[in-house]
Amino acid sequence: MSRRIYVNGAVWLLLLTAALWLPLIGGYMALASRVLVYALAAMGLNLLLGFTGCMSFGEAAYFGLGGYGTGLFLTHLTHSTVLAVVAGTIVGGLAAFLFGPLVMRRRGIYFAMITVAIGQIFYFIAERWNSFTGGEDGLAGFSRQPLHLGFATVPLDAVAFYYFVLFFFAIGAGVIALLLHSPLGHTFIAIRENRRRAQFLGIHVERYVWASFAIAGVIAGLAGALNALQNNFISPINLYWVESGNLVIMAVLGGMRSFWGPLVGAIIFVGIQDYVSSYFPNNWETFIGGLFIVAVIFFPNGILGIVRWRMKAA
Amino acid sequence: MSLLRLTNISRVFGKLVALQNVELEMEEGRLYAVIGPNGAGKTTLFNLISGFFPATSGEIWFDGRQINRVPAADRVALGLVRTFQITEVFPELSVFENVRIGVEAEARCSTRPWPGGALIRQINERVEELLETTGLGAQAGRIVSELAHGDQRVVEVTMALSRRPKLLLLDEPTAGMGQEETAHMVRLIRDLHVRQQQSILFIEHDMDLVFGIADRITVLNYGKVLATGTPRDVAADPLVQAAYLGEAAA
Amino acid sequence: MELLLFDGFNGLIQGAFYALMALGLSLIISLNSVINFAHGGFMVVGAYLAYTLAPYIGFWGALLAGPILAGFIGIIVERTLVRHMYGRPDPIYSLLLTFGFALIIEDVVRTIWGAQGVPFEIPAALGSPVSTTYFFLTGYRLFVIAAIAVATIALFAFLRLSRFGIRIRAGILDLETVSTLGVNVYLLRSVNFAIGTLLAGFAGVLAAGILQLAPTMGDDVIMATFVAVVVGGIGSLLGSVLGGLLIGLAAGVTTAYYPAASDVVIYIIMAVVLIVRPRGLLGQEGLFE
Repeated sequence: MSRRIYVNGAVWLLLLTAALWLPLIGGYMALASRVLVYALAAMGLNLLLGFTGCMSFGEAAYFGLGGYGTGLFLTHLTHSTVLAVVAGTIVGGLAAFLFGPLVMRRRGIYFAMITVAIGQIFYFIAERWNSFTGGEDGLAGFSRQPLHLGFATVPLDAVAFYYFVLFFFAIGAGVIALLLHSPLGHTFIAIRENRRRAQFLGIHVERYVWASFAIAGVIAGLAGALNALQNNFISPINLYWVESGNLVIMAVLGGMRSFWGPLVGAIIFVGIQDYVSSYFPNNWETFIGGLFIVAVIFFPNGILGIVRWRMKAA
Repeated sequence: MSLLRLTNISRVFGKLVALQNVELEMEEGRLYAVIGPNGAGKTTLFNLISGFFPATSGEIWFDGRQINRVPAADRVALGLVRTFQITEVFPELSVFENVRIGVEAEARCSTRPWPGGALIRQINERVEELLETTGLGAQAGRIVSELAHGDQRVVEVTMALSRRPKLLLLDEPTAGMGQEETAHMVRLIRDLHVRQQQSILFIEHDMDLVFGIADRITVLNYGKVLATGTPRDVAADPLVQAAYLGEAAA
Repeated sequence: MELLLFDGFNGLIQGAFYALMALGLSLIISLNSVINFAHGGFMVVGAYLAYTLAPYIGFWGALLAGPILAGFIGIIVERTLVRHMYGRPDPIYSLLLTFGFALIIEDVVRTIWGAQGVPFEIPAALGSPVSTTYFFLTGYRLFVIAAIAVATIALFAFLRLSRFGIRIRAGILDLETVSTLGVNVYLLRSVNFAIGTLLAGFAGVLAAGILQLAPTMGDDVIMATFVAVVVGGIGSLLGSVLGGLLIGLAAGVTTAYYPAASDVVIYIIMAVVLIVRPRGLLGQEGLFE
């Protein structure tokens, strides 16, 4: 119990002080924002993957939709960055909520194939609906607007934007944490552990899978919204199944059974991507693919899984 | 009024007739056993009653309702809760957490993302009360997969009890257990029956155990009811002796 | 009308490709319990190897060699990587593994053969239209359909008639029992994986004669292949063939009327099938549901 408080305290302290220590180790704030964005999406996905036991492989759809929601909202409707984030979150969550019934009865491999295929629907819509989404070239022409806080107006430069992202990351992570310690979260975990037992304790498993899918969609939508603001750009690639795979590998790499696993995974993934793509710009896919293979064969329980195992052994 | 009534129940899998015109009637407060050799259709019968799959024909009545079309999860809410022949628990969770899932479902709060402190206290108290009932209090914090087989089965029974069943269905509760574990389980079943007037329907293959504790017994053989009655009547039935006891003696 | 015929025929060809891909994927899902995300990658590898070999051994030699090499690579991958996944109850790991491998294939192909598309020469005899009215009916296109039909029939015959094929089918139904009967399930799985990737390679070489070769040509095909398997019903090989043909035709016909929706229509079909008949056209009840 006390260990958990220390770990959580340390994580939040490090995140809050990133602007102070990150430049010292050669990082930059935009990279940190990207880590948080992907960590948030992967944590949402992990609610489904690690805590409900449903192998979603189409989470990029809701991530990308959140981005399009925010981008289109900023382009056509508002200059409020915060409202645009809310809009993106709603778009991502709503899509997951609506498509949940199609996937909620499936299991294992079937769940993965159907979630990835549904994700592709959104990809092709974004790619083909030129007039609305900008088509293959993506949607540009919007940018994050300064925040009006009443007493001051804050331009969202790299540092301020990091804290902007951290604010929403904290909300998302907080929601997930509360959820996991609630009866609803307990029920999700029960479904992961043993569907049949859950069903024969009177739990309508499908409805909970649907709920988990929708909540993961909301979180992915939020992360996608922040991603669009980070780049001031959103393209169909963010909806593509490769992006879904990236989110899954972040969760697996860090540790699917741990709350902070996806954050650790995102740090490693985004870090390697950043490093490799600047030194081997043409072959970074081989590194990422190799990372997938190594992680799956040698660290199936993720980095935090190893740490936990070591601590238990000691 | 009877608690459970099966009328003319049959179940066919492809060409295999697993159950044929089975009749069974059980009053409230009984401890009722279904016995029969392997492949007699005992577990199929449980699967029909608990809603694992539907009957091909016939009717299932529970507590005054015809429940043929009621989904499995809803049958639990009606008071029909089962355990499985091969233990079904939440293996990586603690004993406490296992039972809590059932208690939360019973409190109809499984959908609550942010429960109040009073509710949490109420739930925890109920979990502890249940663990006391089944003698698992000392093991509450242990991970279920690390428990002995017998204790895992007791965890499953405790979970079933958490839904306050009107009828508890136990599928071979002592399967795979040693002597001591079996004795403990038998004591638990009898205690539930005697002290809490819990209605129990159980499948068993251990003859001595069945004859020692059941009020009434139904014998299945090749998917048909061979005999129904008190242990004494059933033991005396020549058909049963030929089909089942004879085989056991051989 | 002519446009509809044209697009319909294109759809049929596309469907035949999907069917062939789905057949291999389905075999691997059923026996190896692995969703082979790299299936599109094997298709690309088969195509590029054929492209490289064709100048030396000719089109017909390459048509044989490309798929066989793809199958050979399949065996190596299965023996070195995929086999680590068999004991794992959670299918997510095999998915990620083959996914990672798909990324590597794409990268390697791009490094060796370049990101630009390259044309693949087909025999001149097959290149010209069979009829002047229906200019799209080239000999090659008819040949492709015939070749896929022959490959499909050959596979089904192999699975029904040969000892090894019967063991594969038995393994799909119940691998544990097959193993206790003394069949070498390691070999069974390896060969099965190789057959699957060989079919993918064959599809790749055939496709190369119609499309240009490009490192990314497997990306969209793999998704359509998934859809074909889901529509046809997971676990049913015949269903995969039907599913592939159906979505290919649907995409073709949609192109005639509303080109922008031609990519999306297969996913819409999938959604409709899932709502109306969740197990797919020929899938078994309860399986994976």
